[in-house]
Amino acid sequence: MATLNTGQSSEDMFTVVKSTSNTLAPRLGRLTLPGRNAIETPHYIGLTSRGVVPHLSQDNYASLTSIQGVYTPLEDFIERKVPPLYLFKPPDGSSRLRRFTALPDKSLLVLGARRTPPVIAPPATSNTNDSIAVSTLVGFKLLKAEEYAESVEKLGADIVIGLGDIPYGRALGSKRIVKATDRSIEWLQDHVARRKRNAGQAGFEGQGKLFAPLIPLSCAKQQFYIDTLAEELQNDVAGLAIYSSVTLEDLPDEIAHLPRLDLTEVATPRAVLRQIANGVDVITMPFVSVVTDAGIALDFTFPGPKQIPPTPLSLGIDLWTTSHATDLSPLREGCTCYACTDHHRAYLQHLLAAKEMLGWVLLQIHNHHVIDQFFAAIRSSIAAGTFEKDIDTFTRCYEPELPEKTGQGPRVRGYQFRSEGPGEAKKNPTAFNTYDSSGVETPVAPDASEDAGDLEGKGFAEKDG
Amino acid sequence: MPSHDPMPPPGTSALRYELLAKCSTTRARAATLHLTHGPVPLPIFMPVATQASLKGLTPKQLEETGCRLCLNNTYHLGLKPGQKTLDAIGGAHKLQGWEHNILTDSGGFQMVSLLQLAQVTEEGVRFLSPHDKSPMLLTPEHSISLQNSIGSDIIMQLDDVIATTSPDHARITSATARSIRWLDRCIAAHRNPSTQALFCIIQGGLSLPLRRQCTQEMLARNTPGIAIGGLSGGEAKSSFCAVVSAVTELLPETKPRYVMGVGFPDDLVVSVALGADMFDCVWPTRTARFGNAVTARGTLNLRHQSFAEDFRPIEAGCGCVCCRAPAEGGLGVTRAFVFHTAAKETAGAHLLSVHNVWFLLGLMGRVREAVVRDVFPGFLRGYFAEMYGGDKGRYPEWAVEALRGVGVDLMVDE
Ligand SMILES: [Zn+2]
Ligand SMILES: [Zn+2]
Repeated sequence: MATLNTGQSSEDMFTVVKSTSNTLAPRLGRLTLPGRNAIETPHYIGLTSRGVVPHLSQDNYASLTSIQGVYTPLEDFIERKVPPLYLFKPPDGSSRLRRFTALPDKSLLVLGARRTPPVIAPPATSNTNDSIAVSTLVGFKLLKAEEYAESVEKLGADIVIGLGDIPYGRALGSKRIVKATDRSIEWLQDHVARRKRNAGQAGFEGQGKLFAPLIPLSCAKQQFYIDTLAEELQNDVAGLAIYSSVTLEDLPDEIAHLPRLDLTEVATPRAVLRQIANGVDVITMPFVSVVTDAGIALDFTFPGPKQIPPTPLSLGIDLWTTSHATDLSPLREGCTCYACTDHHRAYLQHLLAAKEMLGWVLLQIHNHHVIDQFFAAIRSSIAAGTFEKDIDTFTRCYEPELPEKTGQGPRVRGYQFRSEGPGEAKKNPTAFNTYDSSGVETPVAPDASEDAGDLEGKGFAEKDG
Repeated sequence: MPSHDPMPPPGTSALRYELLAKCSTTRARAATLHLTHGPVPLPIFMPVATQASLKGLTPKQLEETGCRLCLNNTYHLGLKPGQKTLDAIGGAHKLQGWEHNILTDSGGFQMVSLLQLAQVTEEGVRFLSPHDKSPMLLTPEHSISLQNSIGSDIIMQLDDVIATTSPDHARITSATARSIRWLDRCIAAHRNPSTQALFCIIQGGLSLPLRRQCTQEMLARNTPGIAIGGLSGGEAKSSFCAVVSAVTELLPETKPRYVMGVGFPDDLVVSVALGADMFDCVWPTRTARFGNAVTARGTLNLRHQSFAEDFRPIEAGCGCVCCRAPAEGGLGVTRAFVFHTAAKETAGAHLLSVHNVWFLLGLMGRVREAVVRDVFPGFLRGYFAEMYGGDKGRYPEWAVEALRGVGVDLMVDE
């Protein structure tokens, strides 16, 4: 098996350790940023909301998870006229964004413009020639490309994704494709020029590596942009941000050495495997927090159990199911995460039923641990040359989709959603509306679903007369 | 065992009170309370993990704040997960993975305060099922049985709770008498006196004679610990202090004294001076959810605009994991970041809960240290000076008055 190792413009930041082909093939690599843990790829990074991986305070992130890095969107920080983050000067002179969000030093910090998945902007607020629509705490606004390029360089992220004209949620006509390509090239060129001007200047000491956002199209359809990356900007762009799986299909050799960060909003473990099979190095997975919020503990390994089961197994365990109420076993047999070693299904069942925030904290810890194991197994499989076969095994062992949500999730934080039109379903059940909007309140009155017989059955009190 | 240590009440060994020092001026005491799940320092603040979980904190995080005794609410655990489940699991420690001590209330207080239609009869608390409105009954025997299933290290008697602000003296008198009768029923029903320490709850509203009478009656029942109940904040602080002071005066030196539902820093330090040892309150963790940080200089509402660009730690010099700098192994969380996340991501409230619990446990630790070194009056002077920016005019009158009663005049410098 041939091993390609081309490490041109990205210096030693990214090394391909093993690869069979430049396109549409899985590869092993190592991502090394100064001061951070070296990340063996393929791997994932966590997704933050207002600077934190949902449910995980930073002490828990550091001590109870093995998450190696995070993707953080700038739009979570710029609702105020002068974003406080821009004014922050950490006393130890280190990264503003890292210190502001209290992210551990060893964690990789990737900064982009928008969440993944982003809240889709209404047509009235769409990208323009010099700006993109972003969703902030107080509503949509336009973020100027030059403002983005100037600001992000001062924040001390390890990796900065340039601003692209990514048409979230919309298909592109051929005229619009030309526009998107032109804009993305222009913005990136300008960003690179600014970086060069600012390099070494006070305030810009912690410049990160610059990743180029590819438009969610095949490379052939954005040829002009790809050429610019491969030629004019080849010494300035250290990686690629991928927004559609089709982009991987004809990725040319000239930019194949660059690390590929997947922001395609994969929805299932199978989709993760497909992206990796097509050559993704680092991936973000919005479904992990979705599963956590649904009260589901991930329950799969790669490639799967030794014996292929007669019927496909579920990818997760729904802890809303009351049969777990007295079950003292771990969420997943043999799991070594904090939730599984110190707690059990019965507690999770109770916490979910009682709508206690800790339930989602523990699930988030467990689910990220399962994902850690998943990626370790993926890397071993690629190293052993059995990846294709193992994907096939996985596909036969497990159901294609994650389990449906049956219980109620945590209270939806309103700023994560904007009304996308009339007739939109309510995000929170009405009963919660009487509580304060600032978070999940402990329900003080008994659940309306409890009847007197239930209460008596539980020994809480007896029926009177 | 130190020579001053009392013999445990007959049939019990769930609790041992080890007095370490007494303040030579006030009635403050420093002690170690030995419970089934390990020793705890007194005086102590106990955070409230209502439904076997403290506002999103993992038991590990709670342990790291220094907490070794927290509360669970019997009423809530009785509803969820329910007694059968608790029995099947093996109690609340097992349920929540908490290796340290738990105290449970009796459920009566919440029954009465949360269910408007609750009615108290000699048998127990009658209430309508919140679902189908059918009548239900919670008796002292039920409450103890439930607390036995929970397996808490300290359990409370079911009492007849009346708001101290009730004008109905006859009702208060009868409730006090009933609480005494219910204590007898609770003692008789208690299955695990060797592992769970039952506390009586002294009632009597704001009537000092009634409080004294109740105290005498309950002391005769010789429970391992004593609680002062019915002071839930509606009364004037001076009345509160008068009740605490009147009761502690009569209590033996050999037992812990728990004032229920108290958690404001001023209330804690004054109550300790009046001779109380144990306190619980949902306020420090509930208020965290609203972005409030409890500090030695008062409560800061970090959701206020003025903190958006405040890059100082929540409280300078605080040793909690949030406030400590990264170089000291902490997170270096700034007020601006709490502002940024408060009410948007629950992790922001978790951070504040950690700080607030740390602060109150630390405050009690400093009180204890001051009592051991017999410098508690000086500690009180320093505490109020810091809390009110050195402005004596801002000191709460009730606190000044109450402390005068135990020999400390805050208005006179040492
Ligand atoms: Zn686990
Ligand atoms: Zn602190």
